[in-house]
Amino acid sequence: MCCQPPLAVDDIEELYQENIERVMNAPKGLPMIGITGGEPTLLGDKLIDLVALVREQLPDTEIHILSNGRAFVDGNYTMRLAAAGGDKLVVGVPFHSDYCLDHDLIAGCKGAYNETMIGLYNLAGAGVCIELRIVMNAINYRRFVPMAQFIHHNLPFVGWIAFMGMEYVGYAIKHSKNIWVEPKSYIPELCEAVKYLAEWNYDVCIYNIPLCLLLEQYRKFAVKSISDWKNKFLDLCDECSVKANCCGLFSTSIKPYEGLKPID
Amino acid sequence: MNYHLLPFTFTRISNHEVLVNELGDMIISPFGTVYKLVNREPVDEELFKSLAANFFVSDTAIPVLSDIYALRLREKKRFLDQFTALHIFVLTLRCNQNCVYCQASSCNEDCTSVTMTMHTMKKAVELMFKSPSPYLTMEFQGGEPSLEPKLLRYGIELAEEINKAEQKNINYVLCTNCVDLTDEVMDICKQYKVMISSSLDGPAYLHNTNRGKKDSYEKVVAGFERARSILGHDQVSALMTTSELALDYPIEIVDEYRRLGFRSIFLRALNPYGLATTNPDWTDYTDRFIEFYKTALNYIIDLNIQGTFFIEEYAAIILKKMITPYTTGFVDLQSPAGIINSVLVYNYDGYVYASDESRMLAEFNDYTFRLGHVDEPYENIVYGKAAKNAAKYWSNEALAGCTDCGVRTYCGADPVRNHSTQNDLYGYRPASLLCRKNKAIIEYIISLIIERYDEVMPIFKSWLL
Ligand code: SF4
Repeated sequence: MCCQPPLAVDDIEELYQENIERVMNAPKGLPMIGITGGEPTLLGDKLIDLVALVREQLPDTEIHILSNGRAFVDGNYTMRLAAAGGDKLVVGVPFHSDYCLDHDLIAGCKGAYNETMIGLYNLAGAGVCIELRIVMNAINYRRFVPMAQFIHHNLPFVGWIAFMGMEYVGYAIKHSKNIWVEPKSYIPELCEAVKYLAEWNYDVCIYNIPLCLLLEQYRKFAVKSISDWKNKFLDLCDECSVKANCCGLFSTSIKPYEGLKPID
Repeated sequence: MNYHLLPFTFTRISNHEVLVNELGDMIISPFGTVYKLVNREPVDEELFKSLAANFFVSDTAIPVLSDIYALRLREKKRFLDQFTALHIFVLTLRCNQNCVYCQASSCNEDCTSVTMTMHTMKKAVELMFKSPSPYLTMEFQGGEPSLEPKLLRYGIELAEEINKAEQKNINYVLCTNCVDLTDEVMDICKQYKVMISSSLDGPAYLHNTNRGKKDSYEKVVAGFERARSILGHDQVSALMTTSELALDYPIEIVDEYRRLGFRSIFLRALNPYGLATTNPDWTDYTDRFIEFYKTALNYIIDLNIQGTFFIEEYAAIILKKMITPYTTGFVDLQSPAGIINSVLVYNYDGYVYASDESRMLAEFNDYTFRLGHVDEPYENIVYGKAAKNAAKYWSNEALAGCTDCGVRTYCGADPVRNHSTQNDLYGYRPASLLCRKNKAIIEYIISLIIERYDEVMPIFKSWLL
């Protein structure tokens, strides 16, 4: 499941050169550089070179790589990437379910779960900070609480855990019958899972869910996660007292979430 | 349905079937779940997913993620990695009190033949440094070890000296009744950051009756205050022992600990050692202790619900094994057992024992767990005959009665206790009172999680952070 449909073209070389240029021209005080895709680890050693270049040019910039984690089955590759990135490297890895067949179904690939799990252990072994991303959908939301327990028992080393609302576009539309679920239907499971993890002192956050869908005690976990150029607010949001702290909605979504209601 | 079963045990608690795997992960399921799994009958879909995710069933005979299973198991047995960390030095049997249940077979203050020589101390400290563990705890016991300040100082300074080259992380603990903490002793404690571990049984009437003295309580409490003011509040801890009399006062004992500014209590049963063996009926005592424990634990939970942070340490140890991927270094609930693996005892007379309880047996001429003498080489002691013999019985994974026990991963093996109470290191679980006690307490904690999940879980978690 992906919001940016993969294209079956080999664009690696061209894009790579563009990226090198971007890094060379970036301002030195840049707080964060995101490397995403597609799947950036498909660059293979070039990704390591790119990370090393960023590290050299921008020593204080956090490097955030978004990856499905499967390439990290290769422990050696993982170690080399970790060494190139130094201590300000974060890898965001989607974790769709603790049950392998559900994860594989959502990832669209058999065997993905096992590879991602081993990849996560290799990343942790190499000392890389991991952002575990749970994209909330119709297949996995019933398991949010078991997933939280699973994370605590099997992946206690992750840096933080992000529960992410889905954007209602792209690939998600094609499979929308199977995947799409209104956030209001999973809010109870979400809150219980967040509570479970927060009580264990895990850093846990909620992305892309407007504040009015959350009970007050869970709003502190919500992050203004949708970039300005991608977000929008509804007219009714003007009456809302917490609009300034709210992530709003994806401007690209084809319809707003159900249950939005301004907070006094 | 086609799948393989991975190793797990199960038991029935609070109308549920509780399944526990080798990693201590627990699944709470309806009655009949195991029967269905064994016969490959369908179970609830979400339950099945949880069983598959958490290493209870697998679609291959060897799970694809067996390396992760192995890493997790290693974490659960982490206490074995570094070998003996706790080293107990019994400085003397001399004592200035006369407790009714004294487990250390003390003698009175004037006696001289029961004190460790400087030579023994030197050899014992050298042996301690033979342990590969980067963390060492040097614990001084007695009798009353504060009666031997010179020996105490000598032992610590020798350890400090050797440690200049060894660079280990050393903690010092002085187990004292706090009745007579002289300036000399306090100076040593301050200089070397020695923690004070004391004993307090509860309110004055209880404590004084147990201690066989009228004013023991006042002296101990004054000692606490003195030690806290010199060493810092958190440098002083207290242990309680539940005498027969104490069984009637669970609430009062907890309140006393709170009143004295402690943030935790370790509800500890009597040991059937030393003078305490004169206690008339152990079965009766054990059953009453279990009820005492439950009452006190419930009271402590209520305190926490009302906003007072207060820990019951024994429950916290069990919970750490149960609801976290980690383990504890607590020597009494381990498999392989804590003896030798986690603790060694250097007795005043120069002999080395497998545990504190082992040396108490020796006071009754039972030398089963005497590993050797400080003048012998390290290897002869920790790999010697007595050690090898005990090692045959120190894993509950391989003891009849324990192997298939539903709460085995939260419990431990105790060949010393088996030997002292049943005259058999292997032990016979159906008649073991230690088993009865541990099983009852562990199952009670699980029942709380089943029946009062939302109430107790936030509290249990807060105890472990
Ligand atoms: S001693 Fe008893 S409670 Fe403990 S593992 Fe053995 S059978 Fe179970």
